[in-house]
Amino acid sequence: MDESKPLFVQIAEMVEDQIVDGTLREEDKAPSTNEIAAFARINPATAAKGVNMLVDKGILYKRRGIGMFVAPGAREQVLGERKAAFADTYVAPLIAEARKLGLTADDVTQLIAERAAHTS
Amino acid sequence: MTTATAAPRPLTNRTLGVVRLQLINTQSLVWVPLIVLAGAVAISLMIIPLIPFESTRIVGSAQAPLWYFVALGVQAMTLAFPFSQAMSITRREFFVGTLILGVIASAMMASIFILLAGFEVLSDGYWMNGHIAYLPYLFESGWIVGWLIYFTVTMFLFVIGFWMATIWKRFGTFAVVSIGVALALLVTFAIFLITKMQWWVAVVSWFVDIGVLGVTLGGLALTAVLALGTYATLRRATV
Amino acid sequence: MDSVIQVRDLTKTYKNTTALDGIDFDIERNTIYGLLGRNGAGKTTAMSILTAQNFATAGSVRVFGEDPYENPRVLSRMCFVRESQKYPDEATARSAFRSAAMFFPNWDQAFCDRLIDEFQVPMKTIIKKLSRGQLSAVGVIIGLASRAEITFFDEPYLGLDAVARQIFYDRLLEDYAEHPRTIILSSHLIDEISHLIERVLVIDKGRIIMDQSAEEARERATNVVGDAEAVESLVAGREVLHREGLGRVASVTFLGTLTEEERRAVEASGLELAPVPLQQLIVRLTQHQNTSETEGALR
Repeated sequence: MDESKPLFVQIAEMVEDQIVDGTLREEDKAPSTNEIAAFARINPATAAKGVNMLVDKGILYKRRGIGMFVAPGAREQVLGERKAAFADTYVAPLIAEARKLGLTADDVTQLIAERAAHTS
Repeated sequence: MTTATAAPRPLTNRTLGVVRLQLINTQSLVWVPLIVLAGAVAISLMIIPLIPFESTRIVGSAQAPLWYFVALGVQAMTLAFPFSQAMSITRREFFVGTLILGVIASAMMASIFILLAGFEVLSDGYWMNGHIAYLPYLFESGWIVGWLIYFTVTMFLFVIGFWMATIWKRFGTFAVVSIGVALALLVTFAIFLITKMQWWVAVVSWFVDIGVLGVTLGGLALTAVLALGTYATLRRATV
Repeated sequence: MDSVIQVRDLTKTYKNTTALDGIDFDIERNTIYGLLGRNGAGKTTAMSILTAQNFATAGSVRVFGEDPYENPRVLSRMCFVRESQKYPDEATARSAFRSAAMFFPNWDQAFCDRLIDEFQVPMKTIIKKLSRGQLSAVGVIIGLASRAEITFFDEPYLGLDAVARQIFYDRLLEDYAEHPRTIILSSHLIDEISHLIERVLVIDKGRIIMDQSAEEARERATNVVGDAEAVESLVAGREVLHREGLGRVASVTFLGTLTEEERRAVEASGLELAPVPLQQLIVRLTQHQNTSETEGALR
């Protein structure tokens, strides 16, 4: 748990990560609020807030008396959101840092192409 | 998810719980007084033969365990009150419970003295005409009153200790010492006055007149007053 | 708001000092509070008064709607174990727990036994002879196993080493999740408990200088580092809590946060932004209070 984002957002992202990498699939039961709180060592109310945020976004849904489940299409939804934010989250800082070092956009593009070739 | 909101145990149980809490200090409350008593009796028995032979030899040193009850009263307060607060016990529950403890302890001590007195009567004073517990004045109205006077004296001393410790808890060492000194001065002055005015005969015959029963009832009344004083002091005492 | 404790204008004065200066706050049901502040700020005094172990000079306290003084109905639903709790001279851990079982209606003996195992408390040793850590463990176990509807923990875990403290936090959270209750943790180890607590109450010199959710508190201030001139122009017009400098680089903590757009603009211009952890926030706030003597404006 780092300090740069509100805790409940980090909780939500943790669950979303599991959805993206396939640990949690559609219609799987999501970990309960208490389980998340115990695991992350945070207050259950905070964990609940993160879970509720996902319910509001439609990533999870509630089955009365049973618990929270991953909604159909959740993975696509999360991927879509993250792709949209990709530019803000990763590209903008990349360009800012590049500028500090005196690299042009073309320099950066070339670096990206080289690295992508290496690691694929 | 459960949130139990059980009603607290009935108040009588909590008060008796205080007695059990006090009895955690079994050594101080039970064994030490018994040892003091045993020692006092032993010492008395050794002193008796030294007294020139008369019809009765009376030794007063067996009163040591009775005085120890002042210490008991003090300890009942100082050793148990802070913990009772942590147990969410009210001051009233603590007061009544501790008083009950005092009653039980005093009753036991009185009973032991009665047994001792009975033995003394049966054995003609330990076959030495020596008396520690059976003092004629105390038993002139019978054995029940005899038990009662021992009980009253013990309880009286217990409550004094209890009150002194409570004053200490609430007002501090300076206050208790001042009061102790003031009381000592008062008693000394009273003795001085009685001696000066040669009132001793009058004092002694007054005691004889009201009899041991009168002294006992007076003692109980005084003890009750002291107990109320203790409660009043305890009500605003803090750990 | 479902408040189980209501404090209004609570004042406590001793001969020369004011321990509590007319404070107001509410404690909500089934919430974990952090009662924070320096040593001597008034935390223990406040908790003592709430549990009727000490008395207010002025003001009112209502617990479950009633005055707690000499009120066994209310007091038996609370548990307050002090940092340096005194036990009967001859008490062992076993007799202490037996007593607690008698007086706390929700006492869970099985839970107590599990905790005794985890904290490795010797049951038959006289409490006076226990180590500082074992003594603290006894207090912590009483608080946890009491399941009292309002449970105070007055830094009783100060004697615990880091491993034992983590056990305490874990068991606390676990039990709170299964059996919710109102918990007030007083501590000056703020960062350790900052994730456990839902609300933050900070007392400084007998006054409440913060009363909000832990989340709001985490977002209350921001730290910016970078070129001194750029930093100063950013914080112009904002309330500054703390300034540090190293040559041309300045690090400033200010109240308030920036919007997403503002953040990007700031970061693009080469300055670095960082959130302010709770402990640092409280430290800066109390220092700021002392130097500028603002009164309660930071609530």
